[in-house]
Amino acid sequence: MTPPPPWLHPGVRLIEAERSVGWTEIAAQADAFEAAFQAAGGRVVLPPQGVPALVAALVAAERAGVELHLPRRAAPAETESEPHGPGFAVLLETSGTTGTPKLIRHDFQRLRGRLRGAGDPDARWLLAYEPAAFAGFQVILTALAAGATLVSAPGAGAAELARLAVSHAVTHISATPSFWRAFLLALDGAAPPLVAVTLGGEVADQPLLDRLAERFPTAKLRHIYASTEAGALFAVGDGKAGFPADWLETGIDGVGLRLSDGVLEVNSPRAMLGLDGVWLSTGDVVEVRGDRALFAGRLDGRVNVGGVKVSPEVVEQVLLDVPGVRDALVQAAANPVTGHILTALVVPAPGVEEAALRAAIRAAVAVLPPAARPRLVTLTGSIALGAAGKKTRKGTA
Amino acid sequence: MTETMFALIAEELARIAADKGETLPALGPDTRFLGGDLPIDSLDLATLLVVLEQRTGQDPFRAGFVQFNTVGELAALYRPDLSRSGAAAGSA
Repeated sequence: MTPPPPWLHPGVRLIEAERSVGWTEIAAQADAFEAAFQAAGGRVVLPPQGVPALVAALVAAERAGVELHLPRRAAPAETESEPHGPGFAVLLETSGTTGTPKLIRHDFQRLRGRLRGAGDPDARWLLAYEPAAFAGFQVILTALAAGATLVSAPGAGAAELARLAVSHAVTHISATPSFWRAFLLALDGAAPPLVAVTLGGEVADQPLLDRLAERFPTAKLRHIYASTEAGALFAVGDGKAGFPADWLETGIDGVGLRLSDGVLEVNSPRAMLGLDGVWLSTGDVVEVRGDRALFAGRLDGRVNVGGVKVSPEVVEQVLLDVPGVRDALVQAAANPVTGHILTALVVPAPGVEEAALRAAIRAAVAVLPPAARPRLVTLTGSIALGAAGKKTRKGTA
Repeated sequence: MTETMFALIAEELARIAADKGETLPALGPDTRFLGGDLPIDSLDLATLLVVLEQRTGQDPFRAGFVQFNTVGELAALYRPDLSRSGAAAGSA
């Protein structure tokens, strides 16, 4: 049997759908993929089919020297088959909620370079992100390098993952705050023996951090700040929301931080190729309160709904296009389960029947991802305008 | 007591399930929202909380996340005296 590549520790175990596989099974599938990839050349696409297949495809793509596109859905974001560059690389899709997701080409060695520290071979990870999402891919690489165990169930909700975490005695989970809230809601008296609790992808609020510290008192609790262009930037491990304000002067972990008109800008040696060392605006509004820098929403008004960034304005446009809608206002309401949720005020055109209008609205928003659909639609006679003559959008903090 | 609140939760949960073409099993105070038998996900649960806020005028989560797992635990977070007098707001 071929030895594994240096980034894959032979002790790794992948558990999915109650089936546990190791290097032997991965190697056999990689051999089959390699023959196909050699024949295809250039760029190959692997539709979602679980973590073991993804890992085997990575091994095969590196050997065959092809680009591996890992779409999140069965219908990929881009269908062109011209490679972006020569040799082995991984193409991941951004989580576009409105509009087409972008395809980002990642140099594999550079992705690996982001992994921190020596991995723990006894760790039992739960994959709480999509395997082909950037954050999920990082978790997979971490487990592979350490020779750890990785439990996954692509497509499963937080409740099912909570069950798996308990039954497989999971020790490490990296997930969004929204996932953690749902996870806590789904856990019974039994809790997994977590030693590492990591939050990322959206703002970690203090009540949630407190609740996690209380439920998992011995676990190392960290929240990670990352941006699409610059990747993972820093981790905060003191159990408090935001980050120490003096990092805006000193930087942290080689990353420079500064505020420009209240918006966080970063300068990272680990940014995407071509952007390293450049000051980048993150679009995140930051408020300094005492010795703490706290996140206060997005400059572009996008909000996080269950870990998915959605634009109330874009959703509003969808509603305004519905026949029978005279005016619409989409707002984000703070929510303890998903962080935020979208609600809509709709002014019907005269003579429009309510049931028919609601049905038309439901049909129109059905094309949006579930997180972007307004969950509460209230019909009203008029929508108040703010002082500037614009609709006042609240609740985007 | 929280019986009115329990009934309100059952009513709104049934409506949310119906919108998805699902029917709810019988609810009890110990019925779990997530991880049990209910055909709802975390977005549906989030929706329920927004609707309950609209109907009761109360937001028990104003200060942040409060732990609850079951229908009974959620019902207990709302002050019973106000649960009857909420504005008759329509939901989606």
